[in-house]
Amino acid sequence: MEDFAPLGARVAVYSGSNGRRWGNVTSAATAPAKQASFEELVREHERMVFSIAYRFLRNGAAAEEVAQDVFLALFRSLSKLESPEHAVAWLRRVACHRSIDYARRNRNAAAEVSWDELAGGPRESGRAERESDPMLSKRLRQVVAALPDKMRMVVVLRYQEEAGLEEIAQAMRIPVNTVKSTLHRAHAILREKIGSSIGEGNV
Amino acid sequence: MSDKLERELRKALERVEPPAGFAERVLARAAKEDASMPQPRTWLRWFGTGGLRWAAASALCVSLATSGILYHYEREKQGERAKEELMLALRITSSKLQFATQSVERMNFPEQRER
Repeated sequence: MEDFAPLGARVAVYSGSNGRRWGNVTSAATAPAKQASFEELVREHERMVFSIAYRFLRNGAAAEEVAQDVFLALFRSLSKLESPEHAVAWLRRVACHRSIDYARRNRNAAAEVSWDELAGGPRESGRAERESDPMLSKRLRQVVAALPDKMRMVVVLRYQEEAGLEEIAQAMRIPVNTVKSTLHRAHAILREKIGSSIGEGNV
Repeated sequence: MSDKLERELRKALERVEPPAGFAERVLARAAKEDASMPQPRTWLRWFGTGGLRWAAASALCVSLATSGILYHYEREKQGERAKEELMLALRITSSKLQFATQSVERMNFPEQRER
């Protein structure tokens, strides 16, 4: 990766996951380059962005709407991105905030959709369903889905995205200590609801 | 929080696949948005790329340097002129003093003149 500062009308050119390279070209001559960079980013991160929205909103159509908006916002902000890592952090942060905003705006509609109704929803990645008890996974998703918004997003980032406390704090723009305490409370709720199901009694 | 529960959570919350054609729909929306955005005029685009900014900065540097040189040259010329005027004034003063000295001497010692 090459480091460079974002410069006004310049566009970050992303050459893909195989040969990652970020460079500078002027916007005037690089509409196709911009499109190509954007396509690479969409294809590489569509699962992450869609999954954050989907796990949070529990609604495939809403998740697609939010994920599309996130990528369009990315398209408008390509010139501000400095590196692939910056792109990932940016996408994660915007996906979090847009999902939370969407949930607030559409509180009633989102609440009507439960995990039970999502049988025809997006495919799970497969490994989880093969290796674990499907009923337990379903129960866990139900409990997570019932958590308050911010707590749910912290749990999604922690266990879906494997994000560290600092990363979660940056994505959600909250202090690290708040992330810690939120996770602690989420764990307590999960322990209470799920503990016996995984043979831990009152874990 | 037990490791087992954390492990189960990771499995339960694995990423999901976006619906088929998701990327294509995003790209189509981006292309549509890009096409609907007004293209800047050529000179504006040139300005946007930094060309005009560099030209303006260069012109400013050249004009500042030229002004500095001209100012220095002008000050030097003024100094020379003042020096010449001072020398002339001193020469005039000197000749006047010499004339006055001679007049005084003639008044004090008229016999010297008669001899």
